[in-house]
Amino acid sequence: MDKELFEIKAMEHLTGAASAADTALFESFLDKNPEYKEKFSELKRSWTLLGQLDAPEPSAQMDNSFFTMLSNAIQKNKKEESKSMFAGLFGWFKPQFAFGALFLMVGLGIGYFLASNEEKSSNQVVATDKETEAVRQKLILTLLEQPSANQRLQGVGEANKIVAVDEIVIKALLKTLNNDANVNVRLAAVESLTNYVENPLVRQGLVQAIQNQESPIMQITLANLMVALQEKASIEPFKQLLKNQELDTTVKKKIKNSIESII
Amino acid sequence: MQDLTDNMLMLKVKNGDLDKLGLLYERHKKKLFGFFYNLGNNPSISEDLVQNVFMRMLQYRNSYSGEGAFGAWMFKMARNANYDFHKKTLQTGVLRSTSEIQIKDPMEDRLNEEIEREDNNALLQKALEKLPKGKRELLVLAKYKGLKFSELAQIIGCSEGAAKVRVHRALKELRIIFLELEIG
Repeated sequence: MDKELFEIKAMEHLTGAASAADTALFESFLDKNPEYKEKFSELKRSWTLLGQLDAPEPSAQMDNSFFTMLSNAIQKNKKEESKSMFAGLFGWFKPQFAFGALFLMVGLGIGYFLASNEEKSSNQVVATDKETEAVRQKLILTLLEQPSANQRLQGVGEANKIVAVDEIVIKALLKTLNNDANVNVRLAAVESLTNYVENPLVRQGLVQAIQNQESPIMQITLANLMVALQEKASIEPFKQLLKNQELDTTVKKKIKNSIESII
Repeated sequence: MQDLTDNMLMLKVKNGDLDKLGLLYERHKKKLFGFFYNLGNNPSISEDLVQNVFMRMLQYRNSYSGEGAFGAWMFKMARNANYDFHKKTLQTGVLRSTSEIQIKDPMEDRLNEEIEREDNNALLQKALEKLPKGKRELLVLAKYKGLKFSELAQIIGCSEGAAKVRVHRALKELRIIFLELEIG
């Protein structure tokens, strides 16, 4: 065996890339050539040593930077997509595209019909859903902490895409509902939370949020929601809210009506 | 049930489903971080370089063909990111920072085995630092990242056989340096 072949075979052997037959041949070669056997065992020691090489865990800051970068990229991408769609509208009405459009529609129709007969890769989609949701959760938590209200709104939007939210996301949404400076973000949070009203944590959080709201639109939204849910636990916080002298008169009326409807 | 492969995910990213980059990040962040760290970068620079790789993935997503292993494509980008970073620091005159080999309090009550393993690790890091850059990179990729030789060959641009020979020789050189350090 020449030097280069030995080097190749030794590496295959070390990494487990050699076939069973090759392994047997190589081992018998080593048994017959003690000099190579020694060389190989030295190499093996170095390889094992190299395997001990480790690294510390990356910090949470790395995740934070990545998801901020990703959310910015997603937002930028959406803007570009809507721009190109808008630009596309002007070209759409040109008569020379009419036939093209017609054929495209027919093609899409046929494609849809054919695709509906196949159940391909549904398993893969289910398996990846779980992984996607874990990543989406990180994205939501990062977005909800951003200084830009647009990004926080996007965070709430991402939460709506999750099929089964967990406690961490619910708590983040409730925190947004109670503390976000922007009323649109708070409204989006309440809307998102209404998807999970069967969860006691959400119902309790919504009831507790009543007293934290100063904006009339938020107060009315919560009042409507509590009526829809027939949530008796909300009566007391609403009564407390009515004691507030500065409460808008329309809101006062609305809350009184709501309390009556719930009782 | 089988998860979507890295290739499928990257193709989705290419087609505008940028969310999927998050999945790729979760799958590979530790590998990439370890790669940069073991090339001698300190943890903070290693984290920046990981971020840089994913930014490049977004930037060059349209050039992704889906042919070949995703890992090979990713580590090719990682090598370039590392190369560009050190080229820049050389140009700006900033000293290249090396990994902080954590020096622990010797009074700590630890098992001898653990101490020996840590000493070996520190010595190994030093030996790796003394290896020429290309060989160090090769060893980190081959062993620590568990890439196949076919993927390694794609990354460094040579045949599979040549990749095996190169790794073998780099390993031998590392052993010599390691033993020298151990004696000295």
